[in-house]
Amino acid sequence: MNKTVELKNLHIKAGDNTLVNKTSLTIEEGEIFGLVGESGSGKTLTAKAIIDLLSEGLSYRADEIITAGKNMLTASREEKREHIGKNIGYIPQNTVFYLHPMIKIKNQIGDGYIHHMNKTRKEALEKAETLLSKVGFKSPRTVLNYYPWQLSGGMRQRCNIAMALMNDPKLIIADEPTTALDTTVQRQVMELFRTINEEMKLSILLISHDLGLVKNYSHSLGVMYAGQIVESGYTNTVFSNPRHPYTRLLIKIIPSLKIKKSQPLTEIPGFVKDKGRDGDGCLFYNRCPQAMDICKKYAAEHIDDKMDHYYRCNLE
Amino acid sequence: MLSYVLDRFKSSIVVLLVVSIITFFVLMIIPGNPAQLILGTDATPEAIAELHAAMGLDRPMYQQYLSWLLNLFKLDMGTSYVYGESVTALIARSIPVTFSISTFAMAIAVFIAFLFGMTSAIKKNSVIDYFSRSIMQLGAAIPSFWIGMVFIVYFGVKLKVLPVSGFVPIERNLAGFIRSIFLPSLVLAIGEVGTLLRIIRSSMLDSLKQDYMDMARVKGLSAGKTYIKYALRGALTAPLTIMGMQFAKLAGGTVVVETIFALPGIGRLVLTAVEHRDIVLLQGLVMFITSTVVFITLIVDILVMFLNPRIKSFQEGE
Amino acid sequence: MRINLSLIIGIILVLIIIAVWVLSFVYMPYPPNEMNISNRFLKPGIDSEHILGTDNFGRDILSRIMYGSRNVLLVGIVSVTLGTMIGILLGALAAMLKHYSDKIIMRIMDGLMAFPGILLAMMLVTVLEKGIQGSIAAISIFMVPVFSRLVYSMILDTENLLYIKAAKSYGSSKGQIFFRHYIPAMLPRLITQFSSSIGSAVMIETSLSFLGLGIQPPFASWGLMLSESRQFFMGYPYLAVAPGIAIIITVLGFNLIGDGLNDILIDREGSDE
Repeated sequence: MNKTVELKNLHIKAGDNTLVNKTSLTIEEGEIFGLVGESGSGKTLTAKAIIDLLSEGLSYRADEIITAGKNMLTASREEKREHIGKNIGYIPQNTVFYLHPMIKIKNQIGDGYIHHMNKTRKEALEKAETLLSKVGFKSPRTVLNYYPWQLSGGMRQRCNIAMALMNDPKLIIADEPTTALDTTVQRQVMELFRTINEEMKLSILLISHDLGLVKNYSHSLGVMYAGQIVESGYTNTVFSNPRHPYTRLLIKIIPSLKIKKSQPLTEIPGFVKDKGRDGDGCLFYNRCPQAMDICKKYAAEHIDDKMDHYYRCNLE
Repeated sequence: MLSYVLDRFKSSIVVLLVVSIITFFVLMIIPGNPAQLILGTDATPEAIAELHAAMGLDRPMYQQYLSWLLNLFKLDMGTSYVYGESVTALIARSIPVTFSISTFAMAIAVFIAFLFGMTSAIKKNSVIDYFSRSIMQLGAAIPSFWIGMVFIVYFGVKLKVLPVSGFVPIERNLAGFIRSIFLPSLVLAIGEVGTLLRIIRSSMLDSLKQDYMDMARVKGLSAGKTYIKYALRGALTAPLTIMGMQFAKLAGGTVVVETIFALPGIGRLVLTAVEHRDIVLLQGLVMFITSTVVFITLIVDILVMFLNPRIKSFQEGE
Repeated sequence: MRINLSLIIGIILVLIIIAVWVLSFVYMPYPPNEMNISNRFLKPGIDSEHILGTDNFGRDILSRIMYGSRNVLLVGIVSVTLGTMIGILLGALAAMLKHYSDKIIMRIMDGLMAFPGILLAMMLVTVLEKGIQGSIAAISIFMVPVFSRLVYSMILDTENLLYIKAAKSYGSSKGQIFFRHYIPAMLPRLITQFSSSIGSAVMIETSLSFLGLGIQPPFASWGLMLSESRQFFMGYPYLAVAPGIAIIITVLGFNLIGDGLNDILIDREGSDE
């Protein structure tokens, strides 16, 4: 099968401080890939590296970054810009500031479309209208005439989604798409993603700290901790057989309606380290209930070829 | 929004009223007898007293003020001692000159400031950036009369490409007009470009840091679209306000340049009025200039409000 | 503290002018007003008796520049100081006393601000006499609205901060609150504005002198020297160089200090890189 994203060995640094270390992931065509982790685990940075959106203060290197068929490491700036604009849709984390407050929706939603697909403004507005109803707006024309701050958070998010779909992209990156929304809207938005994925066969990189969300909606997932992928594989596989202690704890943490009232919620004591991420040892060492001495210096990598299940841990 | 406009309008009127009071009463403090000043030193005391009464100078102050104010509404600003003509006519004749150089100066300043200000912000810390920032500082410190003199000698006399004095009205000869206002406008522009460049640069820097710039990048838009449609759009409020203030300031501050280049504008009238203590002329001039300033400020404030749709509807009580 | 280039250059320039000023009281090569017709229009030269040359009356230019520094600094610093003090007083009164004194004072300030600087100065010089006193008075009045508005808005901004409310609640008088709390909080911005204003004041003073409304001949002032040099500029351009540069150094120096201070004291709070 064709791979939409191939990322091998990504390192991201801010000055001397390593933020993301030795991270690799693969997203198949038509797949929803969930990237899970706490805040500060490097999920957004990894996603931004894939589309060359990292801010100036950060430096990065990788063995391979192939996004939607293009080698991002060898392409020129203009090539990258064109390629990303045309083939990737980005749905950012907070809805407010990513839409220009002084420009009406109709004047921002279509400019990428006009530029990359060589369309006229009229065609862009038509397509925008279509997509806006697809994402659930009853009167798209009215929405188009609004300024972003006239819309609610959920509405803005849906506009972002529509905007990301304008060019029929091969990959959508949705960064915490449900965080700023209330639960009913969350459900709508996620079902929307699922529909789009099934109908249009486009890949989605779903970034979230909500493991429950990822469980329900993604085909594969990767669990990130302190800038590293500690476990990845098909969602079903990982959930039925989690190998990394962190993953196991995360799964346990998911609140469900089935727990008894008196049972305390599980939590993982301690904090994520944001320094010293550039070693070979396991970064979960100081919080891991099953840590061994050797874990400080070395963490073995296991890949189960048949099931595509990967994890970094010294436990068998 | 309408209420905002009315509000601003009301405060402008109040300001103008205050200005008129200041203008009138300050200038009345002048020692000496205006009637005597007009008639000269060898006038008889009776003639002076007669003129004094005829000019209404023996009425109580506030009455003089009120009648002056009322006349203002009729656009009658009295008669100048020095010129013997109606002040209104004198001002009307001088407006085109000052207006031309002010406008042209703003155009030059705006062009250079936006060009270098935007580039400076986009390519922060590059050679262009340092160069622009030096211009900023120097421009504000160079006295206009000094650079004016330098230009006159260099362009006017040595190179003989531009006239050193005199004003050619636009109706007479377009090329002549442009040549006659070029140097004075340039001198004025040099004084203003620094401030404007600084504010454009800093507004652009702020705008470029915003999240919507990330979206523009991801969408892969061309440099032009990214920087003008997105970055600049978010950076216009402060520069426009400053531009308005500068234009207003230019309206009243052209004295020095007009003196050096021998342009018959408002500034020159002011100097003459001051030198000869022509109170009537001065009062009229000051009222005119400050009214222009207040008016321009009002227009700019309203324009800025239009530009920022959020404020506009905030005013509407969203 | 970051090394701030603006501040350093500004301080150097201002120190140069202050040095010249101090020197003018101690030693000037020639009496600044001494005319010597046989020596007129001497070109400047390092080894000549007149380093910066002589003017149309044979007066030594260097001495005149040194003498001129006196009234530039006098007018600049005194007028801004006066303006600052009056401005702070008025702004504080308006902000702390409220009711309609607030509106009246601020409206008058708005009115004053509608006058372009030169114009106001010229108006006031018409009323008062030409010369130093006129310039100082005129420029002080010009400076008042800037400072009063600054103080007014700063006090209104900080008023609602907790520590002020605490002070009021335990009975501090308005005066105490003012001096012990407001002034220290406002100091950075006031100092920055003070320095930049001196730059503007010098500009206005030299413009006034240039127009003949400041210090009167035969005394030396930089603006006046420039104006006098106009008629001879063609033949003797060097006459304009020295005063022009002196003005630029002074204005640039104070402006740079103002900017440098601004970067260090104020913009610091804003940016959290």
